[in-house]
Amino acid sequence: MRFRSHGLIGALAASSLCAAPQAPPAAEAISFFESEIRPILHTRCSQCHNDRLRTSGLSLASLQGLLEGGKRGPAISVDRPSESLVLAALRQSETLSMPPDGKLPDAKIAAIERWIELGAPWPEPSAKPAPAAGAGHWSFQPITRPQPPSVSQPAWPRNPIDRFILARLEEAGLKPSAEASATTLVRRVHLDLTGLPPAPEVVRDFVADSAPGAYERIVERLLDSPAYGERWGRHWLDIARYADSNGYNADAGREIWMYRDWVIDALNHDLPFQQFAIEQLAGDMLPNPSKQQIVATGFHRNTLLNLEGGVDFEQYRVESVVDRVDVTGIAFLGLSLGCARCHDHKYDPISQREFYEFFAFFNNIDELSGAFRNNEGRARAFEPVLEFGTDEEYLRRDAIKAQIEAMRAEQSAYQKALLARQPEWEASLTEAQIAKLPLGVQRILRKAPEDRLEGRQVFVRNEFLAQDPGMQERRKAIAAVGALLPKIPSTLVMRELPEPRPTHILLQGEFLHKGKQVSAGTPAVLPPLEAENPNRLDLARWIVRRDNPLMPRVTVNRVWQRYFGRGIVATENDFGTQGEPPAQPALLDWLASEFMDNDWSLKTLHRLIVTSATYRQASGHRSDLAAADPENRLLGQQNRLRVESEIVRDLALSASGMLTHEVGGPSVFPAQPPGVMIRKPWPESEGKDRYRRGLYTHFWRTSPHPGLMVFDSPDALTTATKRTRSNTPLQALTLLNDTGFHEFAQGLARRVVEDHPESGVAERAAHAFRICLARSPSADELETLTNFASAQLDEFQTYPERAMGILTLGSREGEEPAELAAWTTLASTLMNLDEFVTRE
Amino acid sequence: MTRTQLHLLHATRRHFFSQCFVGLGGLALADLLSPTGLHAASGSVSGSPLAPKRPHFAPKAKRVVYLFMAGAPSQFETWLWRPKLRELDGQATPDSFLDGKRFAFMEQFTKQRPKLLGPQRNFRRHGQSGTWVSEVFPHMAGIVDDLSLIYTLKTENFNHAPAKLFFSTGSTRYGRPSMGSWITYGLGSESENLPAFVVLRSGKRNLMGGANIWGSGFLPTAYQGVEFLRSADPIPNLSSPPGFSAERQAARVSAIRELNLARLAEVGDPEISTRIAAYELAHRMQTSGPELMDLSSESQATLDLYGAEPGKSTFANNCLVARRLLEGGTRFVQLYHTGWDHHGNRVNNLADKLDEVALDVDRASAALVTDLKQRGLLDDTLVIWGGEFGRTPMGEIKELPGRNHHIDNFPMWFAGGGIKPGQTIGEVDDLGFFITKDPIEVYDVQATILHLLGLDHTKLTFRHQGRDFRLTDVAGHVIEPLLA
Repeated sequence: MRFRSHGLIGALAASSLCAAPQAPPAAEAISFFESEIRPILHTRCSQCHNDRLRTSGLSLASLQGLLEGGKRGPAISVDRPSESLVLAALRQSETLSMPPDGKLPDAKIAAIERWIELGAPWPEPSAKPAPAAGAGHWSFQPITRPQPPSVSQPAWPRNPIDRFILARLEEAGLKPSAEASATTLVRRVHLDLTGLPPAPEVVRDFVADSAPGAYERIVERLLDSPAYGERWGRHWLDIARYADSNGYNADAGREIWMYRDWVIDALNHDLPFQQFAIEQLAGDMLPNPSKQQIVATGFHRNTLLNLEGGVDFEQYRVESVVDRVDVTGIAFLGLSLGCARCHDHKYDPISQREFYEFFAFFNNIDELSGAFRNNEGRARAFEPVLEFGTDEEYLRRDAIKAQIEAMRAEQSAYQKALLARQPEWEASLTEAQIAKLPLGVQRILRKAPEDRLEGRQVFVRNEFLAQDPGMQERRKAIAAVGALLPKIPSTLVMRELPEPRPTHILLQGEFLHKGKQVSAGTPAVLPPLEAENPNRLDLARWIVRRDNPLMPRVTVNRVWQRYFGRGIVATENDFGTQGEPPAQPALLDWLASEFMDNDWSLKTLHRLIVTSATYRQASGHRSDLAAADPENRLLGQQNRLRVESEIVRDLALSASGMLTHEVGGPSVFPAQPPGVMIRKPWPESEGKDRYRRGLYTHFWRTSPHPGLMVFDSPDALTTATKRTRSNTPLQALTLLNDTGFHEFAQGLARRVVEDHPESGVAERAAHAFRICLARSPSADELETLTNFASAQLDEFQTYPERAMGILTLGSREGEEPAELAAWTTLASTLMNLDEFVTRE
Repeated sequence: MTRTQLHLLHATRRHFFSQCFVGLGGLALADLLSPTGLHAASGSVSGSPLAPKRPHFAPKAKRVVYLFMAGAPSQFETWLWRPKLRELDGQATPDSFLDGKRFAFMEQFTKQRPKLLGPQRNFRRHGQSGTWVSEVFPHMAGIVDDLSLIYTLKTENFNHAPAKLFFSTGSTRYGRPSMGSWITYGLGSESENLPAFVVLRSGKRNLMGGANIWGSGFLPTAYQGVEFLRSADPIPNLSSPPGFSAERQAARVSAIRELNLARLAEVGDPEISTRIAAYELAHRMQTSGPELMDLSSESQATLDLYGAEPGKSTFANNCLVARRLLEGGTRFVQLYHTGWDHHGNRVNNLADKLDEVALDVDRASAALVTDLKQRGLLDDTLVIWGGEFGRTPMGEIKELPGRNHHIDNFPMWFAGGGIKPGQTIGEVDDLGFFITKDPIEVYDVQATILHLLGLDHTKLTFRHQGRDFRLTDVAGHVIEPLLA
């Protein structure tokens, strides 16, 4: 709505009309087109007159379309502008008036006339940008291998990382912090590498182990543990926007957990990151790919799927391809390519054309598209998938399908014969019988057959068929056989179409507005991809090339960020010109080159970081640092970080002793508060599946488990390269009151009593404290705990029925309910402490 | 030390309440323990994401309640009286209306030329303004003189989830913050113990798009909408676990506080003080939350006005809860009521199902306006009513009368703070296909809501991935005829 007058258009049009006859300079003409004409075409014309619909044969998607015109002839005449058909239509002549939803303002029609007079200037879809623009930006420069600087405290550094860090601290006149206490350090490295707390015996042995290499041995054991892949896999799954449902309205479930398991397994085997990237982007196109390499391509099948009634599947396929471009750009290149979807990138050297050249790599997937309609499309919505059945299962499935087909044929013959009796049935219906039928059928039946609206008779027919016992029997029988179909596990994967789809620039990013056709290519600002007709596999190999400076920098920066709370480049998802420059460019490049030199091994990178003196520093308050470097950018100490949502659960679950140590498999449904899941199944898991790690919780995109969201899990709608760390009352309510945490507290209570059957309150309290926090309590802390536990115990011993009220999991033979209940309240107190959910 | 800290925590409790529920991050220890920290407690809290902020200019409305009719009500049976359409009921649709248009479920049209469907309900003029209102809304008909009714909304996407997302975030694609989040980001929270942005839902059908519609997108999570649930606990985990009496819960919270304070003294991390305050507030909410949702304290007259029944999870109850939230300082309450997707099948049609959903919302929508007015709150409360798009003048070939999705015109009404009452805006052609005067974009609605709250939609920006984003992208004009 434009209530304010737009004098500018009128003024420009008017002055142009009176201006000198020769055309203005090209740039000005194009800008006139872009600012005045394109918006009119876009908002008022091309909904109908586009390349796809070509109403009346006319498309306004290109100059060619206007010149060629439609059924009525050319739309514009550059030689005789005033006789252009489009002007007659816009002026609402008797024979033709456009647009149908109301005449354009006169000023806009005048602007269009002026534009035709100018020779209908129409921009070429943008060419490659001049490489000068932004090309000098730091992140596009080749990675060097800087020498670690010399420092004046040579005793402190444990490896080269520390020399970079220390040099900067020394420059600022600051000292690094001392090493964290053994208990803090051992808990820290457990949480960082595996997301699980150290067992009290591990802590005790580590504290007692004064032999050299004690810490390094812990690190090796953790890197070898399957929990490492779960911990770091979850970080990657954030980036992959992994979820167990489709999103959008219907948000139906999907089966893609095998991709999640592939990530865990790849990390546990320390698959070189180059290979990790290639298999996810194009594993299906590798020569003779293994099934697992194809499973890896689930990475880009984590896109949303809109199966709402009435959608154009093509529109949402295009959205998925755009998402793949975005996520590839952010995940591997740290570039927001998505900004160039509708226009050339405003800040970074990425043109709109280059966006669609990149888009072309992902545009050939044999997935749900505009080629399919409605139920036909919905029936193959998940294609392509990879199945993991046995030969026997496939044979059984074929047999059952054949049987169903035969039954359907028989049913259809029966139905044909039956329908002959429909008029008889209709005639036989009494008013009372009609009144019991569905409202719509009643209404139709009450009309004479000749008055019934064309197409509605089918509803009467359906009702007739539905009431027939023979039909009911057959339908039931078919459903019963259908239920015998084997449930064959499968996972969403990529598969190329035999014939590639042509890719066009989409004007304003809209799928109906096709501009010039483009072929696959990479942005000019990065090293060239030298291949004829490059495909997705070529792209993947190009991304991981050593001379692509972005991928290793982006990757090591993200790993760093997980350990210190902030990346060396703080804008971890934007290495473009609008992002922050690296705080320590030399350290970033040194890490990137070290990463590449060590065969792109993530485990080597982790080992390097967690064994550095920088990582091992204490995290306690230092007033000198608080004054000189309040954000701790120089890392003169470690940062305290609240752990992620899944780890909050894993910590409590571990402490309870109830954790199911099982890697992978279909997602599970742990308890959650009532009322959150609306019209979505949540078949609450029982037995061992109730106590799996947080990353195995089934993720419904439109109603995620509140325990995850309250602690800032990403929504899996777009890629997430960093998690926020909020600190809220809702978190307090979760830890205090949630059913799951209440069960974990009961588990820890049992563990404490079983471990110390004969001990007193203080000894047990200290044990529970060590299970939760690794360290031993101070005297004051122990006193608080002992007082609390003793008071609770007294109460429960006086009122035993109150104890039973607490113990929702019941008690076992030989257990004293009052004791279990008292230790449950103490256990839950410990699980609510700030320190419990914090990596110090 | 511990005693002093406890005292100070108590003294500063008020300012923590202003950040209730969400996002207590960023408070410095110094703020908490120094005199300036105490001073800050009476004014704004620096560094808190939810500290109240000044608007760009004087606002006309201090709070908003948005009654979202999910599924898209048919304009032809509610607010837009088209007698000509009734005359032409059953006639083939003129080609000029269909050529080149795209519709949801488009393929049915290729099977069979759609026919016009006359209005399925009667209309009468109401109020001083003489506004036409359908018989399905007898109560809203009684308040037309308080409303400003726009006939000429248009939108961009004819599928439910993206169209809802567009109203909420200004984009049909995921990833952008919702309007309530933008407003909370722009103005902070005024509330002592309630979230600034609350969502309530009701209705029998699935709410397409779900929790993503009130997400905070790339804004900090502190700004996302908090949904009050239909279960016994309006907020997840508001009740203590089984066997935890009030005394036991208090003892536990007290032990947690003592141990957290000890750790705070040891490591001095301000996050610990934030967490201590969060626990104190959480504990208090265990009482105040149920009180808010407990409608039994309302008079019978008020319950009757809304048609609310304590204990039920209805739109009427949600409207009443909304008023209580607004009174408590919540700035933006978004209600969603499903059941408007009347295509013509057994569960969604313009025969009996329209009456069901109209009954659900009519009385309570009118009651909310009336009640706010009686309490003197309507002057600075903006009330909004509308769906995500409209429905076609053509019928569908279904068992019962019904209409397809239509994005070229649909109605919305506004009432209260800053709105000129008793008028209609915009014109639509005789058959109800297209707007003939004053088209209003969804961005215009967003710009107007921000404007009424004292925010310039072109200036409320957030930098993300190197770009300054805004709710209205590069569009949006304040709907000036709407303003008083």
